[in-house]
Amino acid sequence: MKYLDIANSSFIFQIGAVVIGFVLFQSVFFLIRAWREGLNIGLTREQMMAAVKSSAIFTIVPSLPILISLIAMAPVLGLAFPWIRLSVIGSAPYELMAAEIGAQSMGVDGLGGTGFAAEVFSNSVWVMTLGMIWSLLICIFFLRTLEGRVKQARKKDSTWMTVMITALYFGMLTVFIGQPIVAGGVALATTASSAAIMLFITWVMHRFKQKWLGNFAMAVSMVGAMALAILFTNTF
Amino acid sequence: MDYHNRIHRLGRISATIALLLIVSVPILISIRFNIFPPLGNLALGVATIWMLQFPVAIAEVLTYSPMMGSGASYLAFVTGNLSNLKVPCAFMAMDHVGVKPSSPQGDIISTVSVAVSSIVTIIVIVIGVLLIRPLTPLLESPALAPAFANILPALFGALGAYWGMKHWKLAVVPLTIVIVIYSLVDVNPAVLIPVCGLLSVLAARWMYNRGWVDADKEEAA
Repeated sequence: MKYLDIANSSFIFQIGAVVIGFVLFQSVFFLIRAWREGLNIGLTREQMMAAVKSSAIFTIVPSLPILISLIAMAPVLGLAFPWIRLSVIGSAPYELMAAEIGAQSMGVDGLGGTGFAAEVFSNSVWVMTLGMIWSLLICIFFLRTLEGRVKQARKKDSTWMTVMITALYFGMLTVFIGQPIVAGGVALATTASSAAIMLFITWVMHRFKQKWLGNFAMAVSMVGAMALAILFTNTF
Repeated sequence: MDYHNRIHRLGRISATIALLLIVSVPILISIRFNIFPPLGNLALGVATIWMLQFPVAIAEVLTYSPMMGSGASYLAFVTGNLSNLKVPCAFMAMDHVGVKPSSPQGDIISTVSVAVSSIVTIIVIVIGVLLIRPLTPLLESPALAPAFANILPALFGALGAYWGMKHWKLAVVPLTIVIVIYSLVDVNPAVLIPVCGLLSVLAARWMYNRGWVDADKEEAA
């Protein structure tokens, strides 16, 4: 059986539906539980709806790269399995890398190289899956203990905890801001444009007291900068 | 049982089920189509990945779970895409609502945020899969390619501006370190994030001890 027939078989789509269906269910369940507790501890419905709106709008554009990776992987791994992988645990760059390693460990040049047959597909499937189990395992076994330590530290000095968490967050952010700055060219221009648009929208929000713009500031900055990226690429 | 204990129980159970379901995929595929990779090759591939992924996983849980709280963490680690989607999403939501990370309110808002984000991503991908035929020429069009190739710079430019306006002092040290490092070597971001996070925290502690930074600073107008 040609491996792409396997890769695109309805069987895998069905498994996928079960896995992703569960993740959807898990998300809804947590949402409802958190919502109820939120009301219990004094958060208002408006506040939580604000979080829902903000998160929903924020998520749309950054979800697009996932689709693009799906299209990139589909010719070699079929549509069904990348669909599952990209909806759970790993991120696109990881999945591609894992798939390559899976192929190479079978002695094939890489994804799509000659000799990429059913067994190689199967190996990539296994490697991609098993590769990413650790973060979930660590959560399952150690998250509660870790949280205990964090809460202890917070009791001692909660101001510092807030600063520390913000500092950690910047540690993460700056890695992704630094990359385009060093890379230069269109990437740098896009980053700068996005920042500029965000600054402008924030100024408009404060100057003209239009708070509602806040929800869309991220999306507008992103899409605006992406459009400018096309302009920059064509101009230079 | 109070919320805190419930969330951990819920989190552990659901994360375990999710993990079992995820691992069942290759098992079922292999059984159904009778295609088993040779054990040696499989072990080699998995060991290669684990060498990087194991320390990264530890670092990620240590770095992101205090930021998001436990409820959000159990969810986020099932669906992935933390640094480029879930974590910024949760932080924006908490900021929007006006609650602090790692507070009881913050943990709730963070959980709501990550749950909604996961749901939206799943829906977007399902729509994408269903519409893959008409969508492919659009998403692969050479005219639009630069836009899609620069989504991450666009995302982090906006995030950088937004958070930099509020806490620029905390951004200086990590940003400088990152620029210096990337100018010299090409490093996997997954490795750099915890390192940079640690250095950022050390710098923040230094500034905090001198009263240069405080949790309740005013936002830049």
